[in-house]
Amino acid sequence: MMGVDLIGPLVAWPLMLLAAWTAGEWLFRRWQLPRVCAYGAIGVVLGGAGLSHATSAQPTLGFMANVALALTLFELGYRVNPRWFRHNPWVLIAGLVQALLTFGGVFWVAGQFEVAIDHRLVLAALCVATSPAAVMRVTHELRSAGQVTERLLHLCALNCLLAVLLLKGVVGYWHLETSGELGKAAFNSVYVIALSLVVGAVFGVIAPVLNRLAISSQGTTVTFAILVLLLSGIAQSLHLSPLLAALAFGAIARERRIMLSHAQRNFGALGDVLTVFLFVFVGGLLSWTGLLTSLLLGISVLLARSAVHTLVNLGIAHVSGTTFRKGALTGLALMPMSVFAMLLLEESRLDGFDLAQASLPVFIGLLLLLEVIGPFVTQRALQLAHETHPPEN
Amino acid sequence: MPLEPFGKSAALSLGVELELQLVNTVDFDLTSSANDLLVLLSRKPFPGTVTPEITQSMIEIATGIQTEHAPLLAELRGMRDTLVAACDRLNIGIAGGGTHPFQRWSEQRVFSRPRFEQISQLYGYLAKQFTVFGQHVHVGCASGDDALFLLHSLSRYVPHFIALSASSPFFQGVDTLFDSARLNSVFAFPLSGRAPFTLSWDDFAHGYFMKMEATGVVKSMKDFYWDIRPKPEFGTIELRVCDTPLTVERAAALACYLQAICRRLLERLEPPPEEDDYLVYTFNRFQACRFGLDGTMVDPRTRESRTIREDILATLRHVEPHGAVLRSLPALEEIERCAARAGNHATHLRGVFAQSRNVQSMVQESTRALRTGPE
Repeated sequence: MMGVDLIGPLVAWPLMLLAAWTAGEWLFRRWQLPRVCAYGAIGVVLGGAGLSHATSAQPTLGFMANVALALTLFELGYRVNPRWFRHNPWVLIAGLVQALLTFGGVFWVAGQFEVAIDHRLVLAALCVATSPAAVMRVTHELRSAGQVTERLLHLCALNCLLAVLLLKGVVGYWHLETSGELGKAAFNSVYVIALSLVVGAVFGVIAPVLNRLAISSQGTTVTFAILVLLLSGIAQSLHLSPLLAALAFGAIARERRIMLSHAQRNFGALGDVLTVFLFVFVGGLLSWTGLLTSLLLGISVLLARSAVHTLVNLGIAHVSGTTFRKGALTGLALMPMSVFAMLLLEESRLDGFDLAQASLPVFIGLLLLLEVIGPFVTQRALQLAHETHPPEN
Repeated sequence: MPLEPFGKSAALSLGVELELQLVNTVDFDLTSSANDLLVLLSRKPFPGTVTPEITQSMIEIATGIQTEHAPLLAELRGMRDTLVAACDRLNIGIAGGGTHPFQRWSEQRVFSRPRFEQISQLYGYLAKQFTVFGQHVHVGCASGDDALFLLHSLSRYVPHFIALSASSPFFQGVDTLFDSARLNSVFAFPLSGRAPFTLSWDDFAHGYFMKMEATGVVKSMKDFYWDIRPKPEFGTIELRVCDTPLTVERAAALACYLQAICRRLLERLEPPPEEDDYLVYTFNRFQACRFGLDGTMVDPRTRESRTIREDILATLRHVEPHGAVLRSLPALEEIERCAARAGNHATHLRGVFAQSRNVQSMVQESTRALRTGPE
C-alpha cells in the first residue's frame, strides 16, 4: 500500500500559503499593515520552526519564486519612464550617488564588525538593491500616487539594476581571485549582464506580435505572464539573470508602447498567489542559525543604508522639484530589500558562486529585519506623504 | 446677503479658464498629483493663474483679462508651456479633453479644501463623478442688463459651442456615443440647466436671487451650475458648456468666436430674446451633445431645422466683419476649419480609438496634442 504523507510538501506548502494569505488580509483590515509583512512573517516563523526547510531545497520552488519576482520586475520595468531621467536628471543622479554611497557605507560598517572582505563585498552589493516585490505591492495596495511614489519606483528599478551590476562585478572579482582566470571572470560578469539584457529586450520586441492575437485585457495579461515564465526559463537555462532579463523586457515593452490593461495591475489573481508564495518562500529560506550574532550588524547596516537613502534624497529634493519632506520620505520608503537580495544571491549560488552560501549567515539578521520592517516603513512613508488613497468605507 | 452690484468690466473683454487633467505616464490613468505640481509651480511666477480643482487629478488655469485673439493665445501658450515643463520634471502627463476616457470616479482623491469637502459631502458620488473638464469663457459686459441680454440671446448659440468644443466621447471606459458626455454629468446637479428668463438685472438680483436665497437652497452665484451664468463680481457672463478642447489653440478660437457673436448681438439688429426661445433649448442642446456638428438644431423663431454645422458656417459669415474689427480672424478661421473640415476633437479621439482599439492611446494622443498644438 502506498504511504499517506499528510505533512509532506504537497500539503504543507498550500497550507502555509493559506495561513499567510489569511493573516495578510486580517492584518490589513484590522491594523492596516501591509499584507506582505504578514506573508514574510509567516514564512520567517515557519522557516524558523524548520517547516519549510525540507521543501525549500526543491529547485522547482526556487524557479517559481524567480518567476514571481520576474513578473514584478517586468511590471516595474514597464512602470519606469526613462525619459523622466532626461527631464529631471537629479533623480538619476540621486540613484547613482546613493548606490555608490550605500555600497561604500555598508562595506565600511561591515568592516567595523570584522567581516571578511569577500563577504563585505557581497553584502555591500546586495544592500544597494531595493526590493521591487515589496515596493510594488505596497504602492498598489495603497493606490498611491505622487512624487514619493514616483521617485520610489524609479529609484527602486535603478537600485535593482545597479545591485545586479555590482554583484556580478563582485562575482567576477571572486572568480578572478579563486581561479586567476581573467577570461572566466569577465565571462561571468559581462556575458551574464549583456546577454540577460539582450534576451529581455528581444522578448520586448516579439511580444507585440503575440499580443496582437490577444487584444482583450484578460488575454494581454495572460500572454505577458506566460512570456515572463518562458523568459525566466530561458534565462535560468542559459545561466543568465532572470531578474535582469525581466526588467529589460518590461522596459522595452513600454518603449514599444504595448498598452497593458488597466484592470490587471500586478497580474491580477495570479500575481496575488505568486506574491504570497514568494514572500513565504523567501521567509522560509532565512534560517535562524547565526541570527543573534548577525543581528547587531544587521541593525547597523540597516541604519547606515537608510541614512544614505534619506540624506541623498533630501539633498536633491529641492533641485529636483519637490519638497524636503517628500525627499526624506522617499529615502525612507526605499527600505525593503530582502526578497530581491535573497533571490539575487540564490541566482548567483546556482551559477557556482560558492561565496553566496557562505556569506549568508553574515546578513541573515538584516534580511530578517527587513523582510518584516521594510514594507511597513514604505507604507508609513507613503501615508505621511499623503499620497495614498483613503480606504473605501 | 443680497447679490452684490454688477461689477465694472470693459465690454467684450475676455477671460478663459481651462480645467486640465493630470495623468500618469504609464497607463495614462488620472493621477492624484495636483499638490506636487502646485508646489513646484509656486516657486516661480506663473503666467496667469493656476488653482486646484475638486479632485487631486485636476487643475484649473485662467488667463488675465484679454481683448484680442493674439495676446489671448500667447498667454494660453505661455501657461501651457510652463505647465508642460513642470509636469515633465515631475513625470506627470497633462491633457485637455472633457472627460478622462476610462478613469473610475471612485478612485479620485478629493483636494483638501473646506469648499470641496463640503461639496463632496453634499453630493456624494456626484461630486466625484464630476471629475470632468470644462472650458469656461468670461465675456465682459458694460452693465447687468447687458449681461442678461447677452446671456439669453446666446441661448440660441449654445449648441455651437457644445459641438465645436466636444471632446468627451468616452466615459468610464466605454464609447458613450455622445460627442460631449461631460455635459451629462453636469445635468445631474439640481441647479444646472438655464438661467430664469429676465432681462433686468434689478429683477434678477432683487427678485429671483433673493427669493432663491430665502429658500436656503443657494448662498451665492457659485451654487448655480447653469450653462451661462452672470458673474457680478467680475462684471461678466460665463459660458460653461464647452469641454476643454485638446489644444489651447482651439480654446482661444472658441473664446474669440463667442466674442464676435456677442459683438454682433450687442448691435441689437435682431429681435430681443424671449422666454419662448427656450422651447427648443434642451432639444438643441441634446443634439449637440449627442451628435456634435452633425446634430440638428431648430430655430425657435423660424422653426426651421438644419445641422449645427450649417448653422455655424452661416453664423461665421455674419460675424466675420466683427472678427475683423476685433482682430480675431485667425480664430474664426480655426472655427471654420473645425466645423467644415477637421471636425471636433471627439471625432479625432474616436479616430485614434478606431485605429488602436485602446482607450489609453486616446489619452496619450491628448497629452501630445496639448503639448504640440493642432496637427
